[in-house]
Amino acid sequence: MTIPALKVEGLTVEIARGRESFRAVDDVSYALEPARSIGIVGESGCGKSISLRAIMGLLPDAARVVAGAVAVHGTGLSLEGKGAARQRRGHLAMIFQDPGTALNPVQKVGEQIAETPRLVLGETRGRARERALELLRHVGIADPERRYDSYPYELSGGTRQRVMIAIALASQPKVLLCDEPTTALDVTIQAQILRLLVDLREEMGLSVVFVTHELALVGQLCEDVCVMYASRLVETGPTPAVLERPLHPYTLGLLRSAVDLDEELEAPKPIPGSLPDPARRPSGCPFHPRCFLATPECASTTVTLTGLGDGRASACLHVERLLTEDGRALQEAAAKAAVKPQDPAGTAGGDGRG
Amino acid sequence: MAEPLLTLRDLKATFTVPGYGVVRAVDGVSLEVAAGEIVGLVGESGCGKSTIGRCITGQVVPSAGEVVLDGMKLGRRRSPQQRRAAQMVFQDPASSLNPRMSVRAVLAELLRVHRLVPRDQVERRCRELMGLVGMPDQALDGHPHQFSGGQRQRIAIARALAVEPRLLIADEPVSALDVSVQATILQLFDDLRQRLGLAVLLISHNLAVVRYLSDKVAVMYLGSIAELAQRDALFADPRAPYTRVLLEAAPRLGQIGKTPDPGLKGDPPSAVNLPSGCRFHTRCPRAEERCSVEEPALLPVHDGPPPAGGEVHLAACHFRAGHPGAPGQTG
Repeated sequence: MTIPALKVEGLTVEIARGRESFRAVDDVSYALEPARSIGIVGESGCGKSISLRAIMGLLPDAARVVAGAVAVHGTGLSLEGKGAARQRRGHLAMIFQDPGTALNPVQKVGEQIAETPRLVLGETRGRARERALELLRHVGIADPERRYDSYPYELSGGTRQRVMIAIALASQPKVLLCDEPTTALDVTIQAQILRLLVDLREEMGLSVVFVTHELALVGQLCEDVCVMYASRLVETGPTPAVLERPLHPYTLGLLRSAVDLDEELEAPKPIPGSLPDPARRPSGCPFHPRCFLATPECASTTVTLTGLGDGRASACLHVERLLTEDGRALQEAAAKAAVKPQDPAGTAGGDGRG
Repeated sequence: MAEPLLTLRDLKATFTVPGYGVVRAVDGVSLEVAAGEIVGLVGESGCGKSTIGRCITGQVVPSAGEVVLDGMKLGRRRSPQQRRAAQMVFQDPASSLNPRMSVRAVLAELLRVHRLVPRDQVERRCRELMGLVGMPDQALDGHPHQFSGGQRQRIAIARALAVEPRLLIADEPVSALDVSVQATILQLFDDLRQRLGLAVLLISHNLAVVRYLSDKVAVMYLGSIAELAQRDALFADPRAPYTRVLLEAAPRLGQIGKTPDPGLKGDPPSAVNLPSGCRFHTRCPRAEERCSVEEPALLPVHDGPPPAGGEVHLAACHFRAGHPGAPGQTG
């Protein structure tokens, strides 16, 4: 077995809110092979972004890692303390959803890139400038000499994201963590950035963790996928297999609720109910109040991710039904049987149906 | 054909930015929406699609052209009746609803101010509106923060419906919502069209959303329409190169392992200095010399009379009749 580029084990993050605290990330584990990509998919508040920040050592003050380990190419990284972010140089780098707020608005973008070679790698000013120009060229920015002296406000969203990627690459990381890097961009620009990430992976052997809410993007970029719901991983596996035949009701629901250009024009099938408040996760399987396979046991049994062979795993009590029966048919039958579930104002979970 | 509900005639909207120039956000758009029809307006950010919506509701004063809605020519000053005729649903319901007002207060205020129902009927009408958007009556007592994103969008739609509009302008109505609830809102628009005969101008950057809901689609680029056709014709046989590029770049579930093809290099030009000739020629994969000189008009792609029952398929491209050697989108 090769040593994974990134190994995350049992990562658990708690966030304090007032007097209470809740688990924003609960026992998340995955491994990423060198020069490959893994996608982490989930909806807002599922913990996908917080899990990336925990790995990067950039958690907000209210959050702390209570358990777990992170290793890059076999080197363990500390998850807390002031030096945590510094320790990641040369190992990990991260890019964010909105490059407009992640860049320093009053510093020339070239200088922002040159900062890393100069201060971290100890290059001279001249060498650092050379390196920055090289990186600008590498991320596909035309006319790097001129762009070096631009301020972020002078650049379009796509170019800003390229600058972010150049800054990330300046420390020569082995793994790039991407937090919804294309969500704020137009589709044609999104395609350009995705192409750049694929090229970088091939040219530099960079491994990529790609967090997104869009399954279609994961399908185009990532060999493996982790689906996250209410702070936990609910399904993991090779992307084509997972998208072809999901083995968790939430993955199936997510796939069927999205409108897609390739789908027949049938009505999308929304998942009933709404996302639970992360601080008030339903008992047992957190998806059970919205699930078409739910039985009374689902509310009381704690489910964990269980291996199913072929690199796949699912956290569903009734996974054997999805393995043997047609999930779509099951979902449709359940939708017909349900008497239009109504979620009254603001209540999350525990509406005592059964 | 009957008189369309909404007619835009050569609509233009410009903004003067001091020290920068004149931004031609909408640059001569003509469009018709029939009663009960859903028309999709797609394009990338800055193409002017939202400005068109704002011109119709009067939030932006057009610099030229006409907005005719339900037989009324809408100008700068509008009667209450004219203002009611077109209502807007915004992208982010969290910021478009007053956080201090209960849902009942929001709806009741509208009903009273516009004197739409007698005072003793206000409560009944509020409940009716909640029913229309699939919310329980108890929701009337709630405040916006107590609801999920999808529920808030339903409330925003109920607010728009309260004044009995003929046309709903939905500006990116599902972009801020989670995928698992987007579908319920899309279905709600379809449902409202069927039950109330409501027309919808659906403004979105998401091609899949537009394809699912629209009868007719207009693709916009830099302030003007690049292609206009019935939904199926547009997606099966796109004629404007820009439409093709958009379709190629869109992520699809059916293309696992295939990185999307950017098709385009660079960013759209600024709306201050529009390119000469065809405004897309600087980025167009098919551009020839003629394109940089001569601006193509929005013209039918087929010669002769339009096919029976179908509407005309228009594209603003010199090569709209077909590209030699260019394959169609699907078989």
